[in-house]
Amino acid sequence: MDVVDLARLQFAVTGNLHFLFVVLTLGLAPLVAIMHTRLAISGNLLYERMTRFWGQIYVINYALGIFTGLVMEFQFGLNWSGLTSYAGDVFGTPLALETLLAFFLESTFLGLWIFGWHRLPRGLHVACIWLVTLTAYASALFIMVANSFLQNPVGSAEEGGRLVLRDFGALFTNPTLVFALPHVLSAGLWAGGFVVMGASAYHLYRRTAEREFFTRSLRIGVLTAFIGSLFTVGFGYAQFGPVSDVQPDKFHGAVPGLALGLMITIGQFVQFGVMFVLAPLLIRDLLARWRWLHPLLMLMTPLPFVAAIAGWLTREVGRQPWLVYGKLSVADALTPGLTPAAITASFAAFAGVLGLLAVVDWALIIRAVRRGPGEVALGAPDHSADHSPAPAHSF
Amino acid sequence: MEIVWFATFAVLLAGYFALEGFDIGLGVLLPVLGRSPAARDRLVGAMAPFVLANEVWLIALAGVLFGAFPALEGPVLSGLYPLVSVVLLAWIVRDAGLWFRRRAGGARWRLLWDGAVCAGSAGLALGWGAVLTAVARGLPASPLDPLGLAGGVALLALLAWHGRTFAAWRLDGARGGSLLLSACAAALPAALVVAGAAGRMLGDAAPDQTLTVLGVMVVPFVPFLVGAQVWVWRTFSKGALPTFF
Repeated sequence: MDVVDLARLQFAVTGNLHFLFVVLTLGLAPLVAIMHTRLAISGNLLYERMTRFWGQIYVINYALGIFTGLVMEFQFGLNWSGLTSYAGDVFGTPLALETLLAFFLESTFLGLWIFGWHRLPRGLHVACIWLVTLTAYASALFIMVANSFLQNPVGSAEEGGRLVLRDFGALFTNPTLVFALPHVLSAGLWAGGFVVMGASAYHLYRRTAEREFFTRSLRIGVLTAFIGSLFTVGFGYAQFGPVSDVQPDKFHGAVPGLALGLMITIGQFVQFGVMFVLAPLLIRDLLARWRWLHPLLMLMTPLPFVAAIAGWLTREVGRQPWLVYGKLSVADALTPGLTPAAITASFAAFAGVLGLLAVVDWALIIRAVRRGPGEVALGAPDHSADHSPAPAHSF
Repeated sequence: MEIVWFATFAVLLAGYFALEGFDIGLGVLLPVLGRSPAARDRLVGAMAPFVLANEVWLIALAGVLFGAFPALEGPVLSGLYPLVSVVLLAWIVRDAGLWFRRRAGGARWRLLWDGAVCAGSAGLALGWGAVLTAVARGLPASPLDPLGLAGGVALLALLAWHGRTFAAWRLDGARGGSLLLSACAAALPAALVVAGAAGRMLGDAAPDQTLTVLGVMVVPFVPFLVGAQVWVWRTFSKGALPTFF
């Protein structure tokens, strides 16, 4: 593999890892916010346990979204400086807005939410998780604006060998954005719904003591997946028109063609399954009672994640060899003078570290699911700031 | 407009070191100030609620570099390729230590991730010291020479002191004056470096159209950005220590 291939592979690995965690973040955030709101309104202890349990899954998952996101952000400057020097005046704007407006607030409010138990008034604490959700969706908007610009560079003109911003609003009405953004957000709901569904099925199958908790959770998971899958599939098909206008050859290659087929197969079958089988079985809690179905629900949990990766492979591989479609090729965007040694070392280090941490994180999510709502660290009592009974012999 | 975005960049960079500096310093000192697991829990509990609000200053800084100074972003980051990679990896390792250390039982699990917090923090401090030294010298071809290393060690010592004054203020009721002093000291090297690069940055800013769009979008949200940060400090400066990290 040459330098371009390695740099591309590094971006593909970090990007796909990033989205595997981000898609669940986008789906779980509104669910946790709704649970927390119901807790604040009703004071029902069940909702406190649900908020803390699913909130902890959300938060453990969130960690890897940050780690992979950091590498994504800095990778542009490290490996693809040709992109910033050619299109940075346009492409950099949504990225700057994502970091300054969306992620800055998201991270700050998430810290307040995670550590604010027993400390913030309940209404303000709930406001924090809603602000986290809102800013996460704003992040998705700005990132999709940036990505859609690469797919179809609207709102700009070439001057003196580089792109300049002409019409900022056009970035937000880009035909490659308007259906892709709700497609991605709905896919998040679908993934979040399936994780809640699969984890609930596990506890119901094992006949743990948390029957009511997971019967209700299963209902939330399936209903969320129903809404998510319906809109994911709808906004997926809606993209064929605009895509064939701007990138007519998008699906002709082997990889995008296969990935598209895989995504549509999963999307269509599973969406029908959720709509015509799982959702009707919520009546009289048949789904929660029919234990023989639960292993199948657990096995289905990864499917929206597989489909999501197939979707990104279609979108990103399908526009090769262009980084900025029709304007800047991937090879021309590579940082000049990047040596094989440097890119090999950085690929091994970033893919190795992020891959390892991703596996650890998934193991921790599974562990948290298996331990159930009885042992949740999120929202556990604070510790006195005074020295503990066995003080450190330090200072 | 260039001046405004240059000032934004400078404030974010100085703020990153003044704020995240004490998290990094405390991480470096974790095995020194926290000889027992309980003592380390206490130190991590002191900084935990601030970390997410502090580290995001650097993410915002990178965004401003990308949006307002795109012509500099590529050359600076790729010019310091190995150093930037080390800083990034160290940052990830430090964060993983914080997020994971309490997620499973067992003394060895906790010790492993406490080690990650310490090693990652040390890597961040050394790496940043070398980066600032390299930028001050105009991006030399081999930034990891004795001078670069000396810059790394000097920043490590500075941030360790800052971390210590934070721990004394949060945990032992020390006055805020010395924390303010160490925060200013931690921000000073970065402030000097960015002041030295002012001419270059102002000359290489994005065109006015881009900067104006960024300004129009960001300015209405500045009260929220500031308010959220103030809220964190008002909420977590006193009282019991959260136990999630």
